[in-house]
Amino acid sequence: MIPDPNFAWTGTVGEVVLGATRPDGGTRSRSYRIGGGTTLPFMEKEQKSPSPLIAFEICDDSRYWSPIVNDFCGDLIHDPGAWAKTAETTYGADLVRLCLTSTRQRDFSDIDSLGKITEKVLKSTTLPLIIEGSNEPKIDSEVFQKCGEVGQGERLLLGTAEAGRYRSIAAAALAYNHAIIAQSPIDINLAKQLNILLKEIGVSRDHIVIDPYTGALGYGFEYSFSAMERIRFSALKGDVDLAMPMICAPSDSLTIKEVREADAATRDAIAVEWEFTTSIAAAIAGAEIVCVRHPNTVKRLKAAFASLKGGV
Amino acid sequence: MPLKALDIYKLLPKKNCKECGDPTCLTFAMKLAAGKADLDLCPYLDDKAKSVLGATTRPPIKLVKLGVGERSFSVGEEFVLYRHDKTFYHPPGIMFTVSDTQSDEEIAAVTARVKDETLTRVGAELKFNGTAIVNTTGTVEAYARAVAAVEKTAGLPEVLISDNPQALAAALVLCGSYRPLISAATPENYKQMCALAKQHGCRLVVREPTLEGLAKLTKDCAAEGVSNVVLDLASKSLGDYLSRSTAIRQLAITREVPDLGYPVYLDATAFEDQDAAIALGIVKYASVIVTSPLSQPSAKAALTLRQNIYTDPQKPIQMNPGLYRVGTPGKDAPVLMTVNFSLTYFTLQGYLESTRIPCFMLIVDTEGLSVLTSVAAGKLNESLVRDAIKKFGVENEVSHRKLIIPGYAAPLSGRIEEATSWKVLVGPRDAAEIGDFLVQEWKP
Repeated sequence: MIPDPNFAWTGTVGEVVLGATRPDGGTRSRSYRIGGGTTLPFMEKEQKSPSPLIAFEICDDSRYWSPIVNDFCGDLIHDPGAWAKTAETTYGADLVRLCLTSTRQRDFSDIDSLGKITEKVLKSTTLPLIIEGSNEPKIDSEVFQKCGEVGQGERLLLGTAEAGRYRSIAAAALAYNHAIIAQSPIDINLAKQLNILLKEIGVSRDHIVIDPYTGALGYGFEYSFSAMERIRFSALKGDVDLAMPMICAPSDSLTIKEVREADAATRDAIAVEWEFTTSIAAAIAGAEIVCVRHPNTVKRLKAAFASLKGGV
Repeated sequence: MPLKALDIYKLLPKKNCKECGDPTCLTFAMKLAAGKADLDLCPYLDDKAKSVLGATTRPPIKLVKLGVGERSFSVGEEFVLYRHDKTFYHPPGIMFTVSDTQSDEEIAAVTARVKDETLTRVGAELKFNGTAIVNTTGTVEAYARAVAAVEKTAGLPEVLISDNPQALAAALVLCGSYRPLISAATPENYKQMCALAKQHGCRLVVREPTLEGLAKLTKDCAAEGVSNVVLDLASKSLGDYLSRSTAIRQLAITREVPDLGYPVYLDATAFEDQDAAIALGIVKYASVIVTSPLSQPSAKAALTLRQNIYTDPQKPIQMNPGLYRVGTPGKDAPVLMTVNFSLTYFTLQGYLESTRIPCFMLIVDTEGLSVLTSVAAGKLNESLVRDAIKKFGVENEVSHRKLIIPGYAAPLSGRIEEATSWKVLVGPRDAAEIGDFLVQEWKP
């Protein structure tokens, strides 16, 4: 008789709820409870936790987006509402991640427009939403306040808190009961430190999703992969300050040389391949949410995740 | 329970013949005890010693070598579940399938790809490893012809895949001495397959859908004298493969089940999304991966992922410090200084190439640390930069005295100016912005 391998895990990955349905005070068609893992990813005897969720990323200013995606998605890129709806109904995403790229403009100050866009996207899709706020610390406070308020009751996932920059986002999350993404630069100790900082100002563990930062495949992914494995390992060994679900956002994938310089005939295929390969490996390392930008990546990932869940 | 070196020594021939590569039997015994040597290296062991030492002295996962010559490769001999615990040592061989339903020309096209196709990244040349020849027709003649067609391109490791022992026997007449891998031994046919493997000295895939079955089969094959085996888990789903390959790795490295201490074989063609199976195999313990020939995007992603996962996580890949050229820079071309962490180098180089502005990259020795970490650790400092400018003769290459430094090295700008008497321009933090920076800021 062959024994089951003995990993002697003592911990459990904490759970985080994303999205709120009507009975819970929101308007989403579904909500997700992510995390809850008690052993290595995809090795649960009883498959309680859902497949990794696939978040499709959209933006409100396509000048800051990959030209490959812009060409592929066509006119949708000028209408975040319609784009979000298409992500739900056509691409088959589990989540929509709205990146407020308009804030990257020099001296951006039109905070009201962000509220309107968030509202529009919330009306256009019934999926739970991730909102990726400003790139400029000076306006963080107003941006997160506005988005948090507009999304009150919807249990958004707000991004992204970093070590020197987490108070505004935490304030909005606490005020309106949203979850937040806590990002650290590919370093398990810094990830833990940030989680402790967040805890100290009152953000509870079940409102934090760890982003260990994902370097693109070939450009640092080897570090991200092991950072994710180490975080998952620590969680299972009982370190509660690292026992949160993880998100993988390989947002550099479409700007690396291999993808940027691909010829017109193969560039969609290589963009998808890069996102797909990164996402598969990240999910095996422990990511509960993977973010992608190319519509064709979504369905392939769904099928592959189903096969990964397909049995012990 | 592992044996101590002295216990092992007592069982060795004590001839000090050096044929194992060690100076004395005692040093060989110490290596065996540490799991660093293979018992087979000693030609004079008697059967009793072999059976006692057996699986307890060899590395927890046996090293299996495929092919001969320059393109041969070894797999197995891994020690950890997680690469961050140490590192993974032997990257999986990726083998492209050909079938005996294909023409000689079609087969030659695949073998030529395996032989010549190279992806150069981060200073390394990445290649596929061999061919897997499938006996689709089930007939002996067609298979022998296909194997002969593959053999026209010499020197590539091979997997021979057939349910027909006669077809394998005919193929082995052609390529048996080149250490191919034959697939697959099952509880029904293992005696026959072991006889073939023994006769030709080739490696053997053993296939069973349960761990119990696999462990029993490797034991049975060892009893037949064949221990160069790899394990085919015959998985039905990706999750099925993942959980069982992980279990095998864990049970092997802890020596709980030594009969599972062999490399793992993965037939990616059996899965709906072959690329997903390849990615899974690379990150989770496959040692030989069989796939149909990959499209260019899939090929690049697979080779890149394999390189990523099999780099030593404790040792960043480094560039040799020096002055590198992008295009053919003249006397007034910009000089950009950065660290010798290869990822930094290749990322910056990629963006510089796309600016089409010829320039020099001055790579200084931070022992492979990134800009941010080397500044924090004090490794990147003004004397390092000053010495590099002198050592690599930068002053003879350009007529100006202006140095562009990475954005994250901005705190050093004053000190570098003082130490070198060069004017320092602080570049962007993100290499992606270097093009705009050069266009707007650079004047010789």
